[in-house]
Amino acid sequence: MRSALSKVLVTMIAVLALVAAGCGGDGGGGEASGEPIKVGASLPLTGDFSEPGVAAQQGYTIWQETINANGGLLGRPVEVVIKDDQSDQNVVVTDYNALIQQDKVDLLLGTFSSLLNLPASAVAEKNKMLYVEPAGGSPEMFSRGFEYLFFAQQATAPHQADLFVEWVNSLPDDQKPKTGAYVIADDPFGGPVAEGIQKGLEAAGVKTVYSEVYPPETKNFDAIATAVAGQKPDVIAQGSAGLEDGVNLIRSLKKVGYSPQQFFQASTPSFADQFSNAVGIDNTEGIFYAVSYDPAAKTPGNEEFLAAYRAKYDTDPPEDAADGYAAAQVLQAAAEGVGSIDDQKALADWLHENSVETILGTLSWDETGAPQQAFLLAQWQSGDEEIVRPEDSATSDTIVNPKPAWSK
Amino acid sequence: MTQLVQVLILGLLIGGVYALLASGLTLIFGVMNVINVAQGALFIFAAFLSWTLWKEAGIDPLLSALVTTPIMFAVGWLMYVGTIQWISGKPASMSVLLTFALALVIEGVSGMVWSTTSHSATPGYFASSYRIGDFYFPKAQVYGCGIAVIVLLALYALLRGTWLGRAIRAVSENVSSARLVGVNAHNVAALTFAVGVATTGAGGAIASVLYPFVPGSHYVWISRLLGIIVLGGMGSLPGAVIGALAMGVSETMTATYVSPRWATLVPYVVIMVVLLARPQGIMGAKLREDVVV
Amino acid sequence: MERAGELALRHGFAAAVAIGALGLLAYPLISDNLYYQNMIILSTLLAIMASGWNIISGFTGYVSLGHSVFLGIGAYTTALLSIRVFEGASPFWFVPVSAVVAGVFAAVVGAILMRTRGHAFVILTIAFLFVMQIVTLNWSDLTNGNHGVTLPLPRWDAAYQDWPFYYSLLGLLALSVALSWWIRRTKFGMGLIAIREDESKAAGVGINTRVYKVLAYIASAVFVGAAGGVYAYYLTFIDPRGMFRIIVSVQIVLAALLGGRGTIMGPVIGAFIFEPLNEVTNNVELLAGPRRLVFYGAFLAAIVLLLPRGIIPSLAEIRTRRREQRTAATVGQRLERPLVRVAERAPAAADPSGRPLLEVRGVGKRFGGLAALDDCTLAVPEGSITALIGPNGSGKTTLFNVVDGTMPHDHGEVWFDGRRIDGLSPWARAHAGIGRTFQITRLFREMTVLENVVTPLRSFSWRQLGADAVSGPEAERAEELLEFVGMRRFAPMRAGALSYGQQKLVELAQVLMLDPKLIMLDEPAGGINPTLIEHMAEMIRELNRRGTTFVIVEHNVPLVLGLCNPVHVLARGSCLCSGPPDTVQHDPAVLDAYLGEDYLAGVG
Repeated sequence: MRSALSKVLVTMIAVLALVAAGCGGDGGGGEASGEPIKVGASLPLTGDFSEPGVAAQQGYTIWQETINANGGLLGRPVEVVIKDDQSDQNVVVTDYNALIQQDKVDLLLGTFSSLLNLPASAVAEKNKMLYVEPAGGSPEMFSRGFEYLFFAQQATAPHQADLFVEWVNSLPDDQKPKTGAYVIADDPFGGPVAEGIQKGLEAAGVKTVYSEVYPPETKNFDAIATAVAGQKPDVIAQGSAGLEDGVNLIRSLKKVGYSPQQFFQASTPSFADQFSNAVGIDNTEGIFYAVSYDPAAKTPGNEEFLAAYRAKYDTDPPEDAADGYAAAQVLQAAAEGVGSIDDQKALADWLHENSVETILGTLSWDETGAPQQAFLLAQWQSGDEEIVRPEDSATSDTIVNPKPAWSK
Repeated sequence: MTQLVQVLILGLLIGGVYALLASGLTLIFGVMNVINVAQGALFIFAAFLSWTLWKEAGIDPLLSALVTTPIMFAVGWLMYVGTIQWISGKPASMSVLLTFALALVIEGVSGMVWSTTSHSATPGYFASSYRIGDFYFPKAQVYGCGIAVIVLLALYALLRGTWLGRAIRAVSENVSSARLVGVNAHNVAALTFAVGVATTGAGGAIASVLYPFVPGSHYVWISRLLGIIVLGGMGSLPGAVIGALAMGVSETMTATYVSPRWATLVPYVVIMVVLLARPQGIMGAKLREDVVV
Repeated sequence: MERAGELALRHGFAAAVAIGALGLLAYPLISDNLYYQNMIILSTLLAIMASGWNIISGFTGYVSLGHSVFLGIGAYTTALLSIRVFEGASPFWFVPVSAVVAGVFAAVVGAILMRTRGHAFVILTIAFLFVMQIVTLNWSDLTNGNHGVTLPLPRWDAAYQDWPFYYSLLGLLALSVALSWWIRRTKFGMGLIAIREDESKAAGVGINTRVYKVLAYIASAVFVGAAGGVYAYYLTFIDPRGMFRIIVSVQIVLAALLGGRGTIMGPVIGAFIFEPLNEVTNNVELLAGPRRLVFYGAFLAAIVLLLPRGIIPSLAEIRTRRREQRTAATVGQRLERPLVRVAERAPAAADPSGRPLLEVRGVGKRFGGLAALDDCTLAVPEGSITALIGPNGSGKTTLFNVVDGTMPHDHGEVWFDGRRIDGLSPWARAHAGIGRTFQITRLFREMTVLENVVTPLRSFSWRQLGADAVSGPEAERAEELLEFVGMRRFAPMRAGALSYGQQKLVELAQVLMLDPKLIMLDEPAGGINPTLIEHMAEMIRELNRRGTTFVIVEHNVPLVLGLCNPVHVLARGSCLCSGPPDTVQHDPAVLDAYLGEDYLAGVG
């Protein structure tokens, strides 16, 4: 009798001990457990910004899966709740109010485009919640004295093309462009990019022969292309708003038969396959653009991200997906840095004082939430997207200059 | 000077395409007093169809007009029988609301089937031009304009030379009298609507090559088309052609000589000026106002 | 039995509205749920816009598909003032300014836009919306263009959440509903409905349609503008594309149609149904993305096709239909013997050769290639009953249209009571003393018979606009006139339900309300039975005895010849022959053109 009882007791104690061991600790590499942390975001899954919106959603999703596979955030699983704001400001305000009030999310992530992030970030600020946005680099964002706002890319819009201007300045005199044309979309993001380039190049002595603003939904660029071609500029910079307008300008320039020596476009060339299919792979040669993300970069978590994305979506990640992932990384870093998610102010303060390693590189911010780094300068070469500046991040030694003529 | 001529060329070429798109709209209005705000969404839908044919079967988009036109004819017929016919006789604003609602439905369906990413058919000639001297003529626009002319002539022949055409004209002038002489006004209305929508088949095929499009592209187009038919005279086919050419040229001129920004204002300014100064447009007939309606 | 039931329903409805209002007022005090507060705020905003829209499109019948333009105008006014001019001041101060600016825009643009009607007006309102969007976008120096305007964050204690927005919008809604209710009760409102039913008829009975329409447009805009100011502060960020959106205009129309346009509470109820539905479906997976557009469009199409009158009127209709099924048909009832108690006018000399009250000199009017009137000259002596006869297409109705101002003539002069009236608007001519009936009767079909008779106005004055729609003395006078024509029993009936002959009598009573010096009757005997014709002739004689001059267009030649002197014969747009009946009926030209060779044989 005694031995049976003691055997049972020992077994029970052993079982208890195992259970205790299993419950405690962070389970390193195993499943996360406990109350899930809710992260809420609204994205333009439909409407004008649906292309980048869907991409950002992919980024958030990959992040959620990755973090949950690696033990979760502070040991707890992460649940990302995404609403569709339909590219509509009214809806985005409602969505964030709903996320905060109805869904009672613990953390927020931003939406896509300055237009939507402007009112959405105000909701977050009113509620004193941390707001990390994957996009929205318009200067307007950072002039309101917000304390909880952070932009998860390397620089704001006016500085997106700084490296391009630098490179042009570095050219020997006989290769430097003398005249420049600026085709500017009436868009809070695309506009400042082109204006930044114009300012920089004018300071370097490049004469402006054309500078006009067009509505971003413009489809017919023939008239613009004719006017631009008439001036025969050496460099053309387009502050495009998205994919369509950039593609259309290229087509119209082809029709006119004019090809500049240097050609820069904001955002459009970063659309990977969509871009090269739309204009024809041969026509991409030599086109410059600035980008926040480089798939080949050896930045922390990038390999994992690439692998996960390719496995799930069967293609390479577009820039906007990477930006989404990076924003989530920033959020994660703040939470892990502070050690808890209860105090949003503490999270914001931590981000103001620290820098974060993301798949885009190191990010750090000033007191308005504007990032202090520089974008990558990229160029299409032989059908591939290559990073050409800064040199330590470059994936290609050469820069195609001048741009070859359009192909048939 | 060269630039001016070039700008004129571009304006006229695109105006030709506009004319095709506007012809359906004006035809429908002329016969049944309905402003089909869904016309833009319909031709975007047709553009998607053309794109699919090009992508999957390799058919040249412009040739696919032969397929898309009958399909859109059927769509138009269904639209009429299913919804529009119940609106006839009600005030104008109701038809605008209904067709707007249909436009939303078509936009939604287009988005569901083809997603909201940018589409564009890119056969070999899509971004090249013919050169004559100093001037360039974009190939896609030239072919498109050519098809537009053919279709417009066919439409004109239909209206002037066939019994159906005469019936259509009769109904558009006086429904009761037309009925009295044996015209089945209901069938004529359905046919006219279907023909009007069928023109979007050809128009959409051309548009698929000209510019990239998304389901939401129709808003810009419908404003432009409204401006055209108001300018030319609602209900007049020659008026639609004149209005379209005028619109094409003025948009291009404004974009070149003023600024691309203000070019978007052109259709609206046209609408406002015409409706206030000469509501019947260039070619429209003045209505007898004393007849009790 | 019926009356009590209807009264109970009315009270029940009012009680429901009151409870709803109290609930809305109390909500933020009992719950701090921001999500629902936001939903109520957006619903209230939509309700304000729909209620405003209802004034111009429901009451007046000018359907606007661009009404959200005033939201944008109001929003930008408040935003720009608080950012550029008065930095640091609370944007709430500028909300009244937004209302005023919206009103000014409505006045200026309305005066221009409302020179058109129907299709043209609808398209113009859309054009106006987009023009404002584009101008706001491009005039960046003023508006900051696409960068938008960022307002400061609210400065009150976070414990108060969104209360200031919530309550100010509720307040604006209350004001907007009160305005609608007040308008509906006044002469102004009645005039608007007359304009909706039949604009040129309204002008012809003395309503200054130009002023009325612009006033209605202003009234429809001011609270929307004010709400725009509040909304801008609520969003803290506005941009041209967000503030001038066509989809919002569509939502406004949808909400108003859903609830019932033309009613007071309909647009509000429609908004409070539609907006929450919109929000809720936004979060449903099934309706995400493009599917949402399909749902939206299908919903709108369904409303337009199946429930075009809206919820409230449809319910009301079911009730009235049930009620009307029980009462006996009144249409076939005998007319009473007329009791003649029309006000006496100092009887003027009824001498047919007296001074002309109306003179038409060399008037011409062409329609394309057709000359409806060709150098037409004739005179109507004061105190006479003059006839205007002639074959179809000779220009008789056109002449009436030229005289009463419905249609401008190409050349010639029209003189009335010693003054030239060519340039006067139709209502000014009505005020001068010209009244007219129509070949095919034109009553305001949705109004009751009594309301129809009370609608005409003898003069225009600003004070009159605010007067009660049907005042005591007016109702009395109207009833007298209805008695005179024998239609008094039909006073509470809807005009559209009457028979043709009955409508003719009511139209006459309408005209008499104006106390006109000259009454033009267009085929008064057409399509009615002989007893009624005699009745009419009696009334005409009686009125003429009391000093009213008549011009009558008629085909019923025996009636004309027995009643009228002089007689003018019109053929192909000009006056063929004038004179006493005897002379005219023997004139060979007249026989040839109109009466026919057999005529004299028949009369003889």
